[in-house]
Amino acid sequence: MSSRWANDDPETEAIIAQQKREKELKKRAKAEKQRLEDANKAQARDAKASAELGPPTKRRRLSNDPDARPDDAEVVRIEKEQQKQSTLLRFPVGEWGPCRHVDNFERLNHIEEGSYGWVSRARDISTGEIVALKKLKLDNSPDGFPVTGLREIQTLLEARHQNVVYLREVVMGNKMDDVFLVMDFHEHDLKALLDEMREPFLPSEIKTVLLQVVGGLEFLHSQWIMHRDLKTSNLLMNNRGELKIADFGMARYFGDPPPKLTQLVVTLWYRAPELLLGADKYGTEIDMWSIGCIFGELLTKEPLLQGKNEVDQVSKIFALTGPPNSETWPGFRSLPNAKSLRLPSTSAPSSAGNPPLLPRSRFPYLTNAGLSLMSGLLALNPASRPTARQCLDHKYFKEDPRPKPREMFPTFPSKAGMEKRRRHHTPEAPKRGQEAPELDFAGVFGGAPGGDTGEVGAGFSLRLG
Amino acid sequence: MAPNGLKHLSNALATPDQLSNSSSSIDNVPSDLETSIRCAGAQLTQAAGILLHLSQDIIAQAIVMFTRFWLGADGGSLRIYSVKDVSAAALYLTAKLSFQPTSPRSVLNVYTFLLSQDASPLWFVRQRRAPETPPSPETYILSEGGYQSARLILLRTETVILRTFGFDTHVALPHTIALTYLQTLGVTKPAVAQRVIQHLNAALLSPQLLYVTHQPNALAVAAIYLASREEEVKLVDGEWWEVFDVDREELGFLVVGMKSTEGFMRAEVSRWKNKAIPMVVDEVDAEIERRRMMEEGE
Repeated sequence: MSSRWANDDPETEAIIAQQKREKELKKRAKAEKQRLEDANKAQARDAKASAELGPPTKRRRLSNDPDARPDDAEVVRIEKEQQKQSTLLRFPVGEWGPCRHVDNFERLNHIEEGSYGWVSRARDISTGEIVALKKLKLDNSPDGFPVTGLREIQTLLEARHQNVVYLREVVMGNKMDDVFLVMDFHEHDLKALLDEMREPFLPSEIKTVLLQVVGGLEFLHSQWIMHRDLKTSNLLMNNRGELKIADFGMARYFGDPPPKLTQLVVTLWYRAPELLLGADKYGTEIDMWSIGCIFGELLTKEPLLQGKNEVDQVSKIFALTGPPNSETWPGFRSLPNAKSLRLPSTSAPSSAGNPPLLPRSRFPYLTNAGLSLMSGLLALNPASRPTARQCLDHKYFKEDPRPKPREMFPTFPSKAGMEKRRRHHTPEAPKRGQEAPELDFAGVFGGAPGGDTGEVGAGFSLRLG
Repeated sequence: MAPNGLKHLSNALATPDQLSNSSSSIDNVPSDLETSIRCAGAQLTQAAGILLHLSQDIIAQAIVMFTRFWLGADGGSLRIYSVKDVSAAALYLTAKLSFQPTSPRSVLNVYTFLLSQDASPLWFVRQRRAPETPPSPETYILSEGGYQSARLILLRTETVILRTFGFDTHVALPHTIALTYLQTLGVTKPAVAQRVIQHLNAALLSPQLLYVTHQPNALAVAAIYLASREEEVKLVDGEWWEVFDVDREELGFLVVGMKSTEGFMRAEVSRWKNKAIPMVVDEVDAEIERRRMMEEGE
C-alpha cells in the first residue's frame, strides 16, 4: 500500500487513511442521492406518461410466466413502440413486371466477349444513361434456360452492395432466347488496367483495391453467395476509384452444411488446391484463395500461378507453398485426386506457424504483415485461410502506407469506353456440364527434373495422366 | 428504406392494378372460372411436387410463381397458356434453382400421370369412377414422341414465365419464419407447429391469393394465431403480433382468409362434381363456349 513517496510517519498515515474513508463515504452518499433523484424523476416521468396514455394497459405485461419474459432490451423496445403508437417495421415491397425490349437501348460499341456472353456499351434511349449490355449465351441447352444464367441474375438481384456490379434490369430481344442483362457501365477491368500500366500499383493503391474486393466478397458471403470465379478480369473499375465485383455466371447460393457441388469452378489460375484435388464439398474458402492470387497479381502485374493444365497448376502451387503434409493440411489425403499424389518422402520440415509463411523471396516488396496475409490466403488447408471478415481486420490494412482514398486513385484512359477491350490471355472458367476429369497427379513430385517445358512445373517434373 | 438483409424475408407483391385486371379477364374468362382453374392448378403443382419427391419449400415457391404468373394485364392468359404447362414449368424452374434439381423427363412423366383421366388421383381430373380393373398403362405413360414435343413446350413455357417476371425468381416463404416466431413465443407443443404449417400450405390455394398480397411475416403470424386457438394453447397476453410487425387489421383479414379456404375447397369440390376442371386452353375455350350456349338457351 505505502509507496516510496509516502510519509512513514504512522500518524500522518492515519490521517490520510481517515481522509480516504471520509471521501469514500461522501462518494457513496452522493451516489445514493443521485440514485434517489433519478428514481423520483423516473417516477414523475412514468406518472406523466401514464397520465397521457391513460392507465397502464394490460398489454404492458407480455407474459404470465416470469421465465419466458423477453429480455430487458426487448421490453424497452416494445414499450417505446407502444408509446409511439406501435411503429411497425414495413418490409420492402417490390413489384414484378415483364421484361422490356432491348430496343430501348442503343448499342454503341462492343466491349468484350466473356465466357458467358457478349458485352457491349449502350445508351438507355429514354434516360440517356450509358450502361453495359450483356447478352447471355443460351446454347440450346437440353435443360432449358441455363441454370448458370438464372443464378447470375438471381444472385445479382439480391446482392446490392457498393462493391458489386449493379444489375438494373433484364431485357429481351425478338427471339425467345435473346436475353440481355443491363448493368452499370464501368470504364475498366482490373486485368486490362494491369496490362496497360507501366508500373504496378503503389502499396497504398493495392490496399484500396483489395479492401474493396474483400469488402464486396464479405457481403456476398454474408448473403450465402459464393462467387466461384474471382479473377482480375472480373473486377471492374471506374474512374472514381470504385471497384465492383462482376460476372456472377459461376455464383450460387450455398448452405450449412455445404451441399455437394461441382469442383469444376473458378478459372484455373485462381483455382484453390482443394478443387484441383477434386473436393466436392467446399465453401467460401475457395473465394479467399482467389483473393490471394489477385493480391499476388496486384503486386507484380502478372498472374501469380499460371498453370498450363490442372496438373501443372497443382505443381506450381506446391512449388510456391511447399508440398502439403498432414500437419499443415490434415485430411488432404482423403480428397479424390490426392490418391495418385506421390509426395517426396522427405516431407518439408514443419516450419513455424500454421499456415506456414510463404517464401519471402517471392514477394520482396511486401511488408511482414502483407506476407502474413498472403500466406493466410494461400494456405493449402482451406480451414487455415482467413474469412473475408478476418481479412478486412488484418493489420496489413492498418499499417502504413494507409489505403489511398478512392478520390485520390489515379484515373486511366478508358479501354472499354471507345474501342474493344484487348482480348485477355486469362483462361476461362470451366464450362458447366463438363465431366470432372480424373486427374493423375502421380508425377507431380519425383521423376527427373527437367527444363521449363510444358510438362514441367517449377522444380517438379510431371507425368500427364 | 429498410435494411438490405430484409429482402430475404420479403416478397414482391401484386399491385392493385394487377389484382383487378388479369390477362384472362381481358380475354373474357369469367372470374369464377379463373379462380377455380387457378386453384386447381395450384393443387396440381402440389401433387406433382410430392410425386417428384421435391421438398415443400420448392413446391410452395413454385405455387407462388404459378399464382403470380396469371396476374395483371401483362400476365399470362388462360386462353393462351395451358394451366398444366405453366404448373409444370414453374415447378421445373423452381427445382432447377434449388438444391434439388429435377429432369424434364421426370416432370413430364409425373404430369402425364396426374392428368390421365383414367388414372389420376386428382379429384378435378379423373372423371370416371374407379374401374374394377386397374387402368391400362397407355392411359398414363408418356410416349417417346409425346415426350419430345412436351419437352419443347415445357422449356418454352419456362422462358415465358421468366419474361413475365422480368427474371426475378425470388420467393420468400413464411414457414421458417413461423417456426422462429413460435420459438420466440415459447410455444413448444408440436401440434401447434404442425397446424401452423398446415395453414400455411393450405393458404397456397387460397382464392384471396394471400401469398401475393401479404408479406411472409404476416402469413406466419396469422397461421400461429389460428393454430394456437385451434390447439387451445394460450399465447402471451397483449398484442404480440405487433412485435412481429403485423397490425391488427392485417391479422384479422388473414385469419378470415385462412379460415375460409376449407369452405372454399368444399364448395369447389361440389361445384365440379360432375365435370373436370379445364387444364388446357382448348378445355377452357370449350367451357366458356358451353356457358355462353347455356345463357343463350335460357
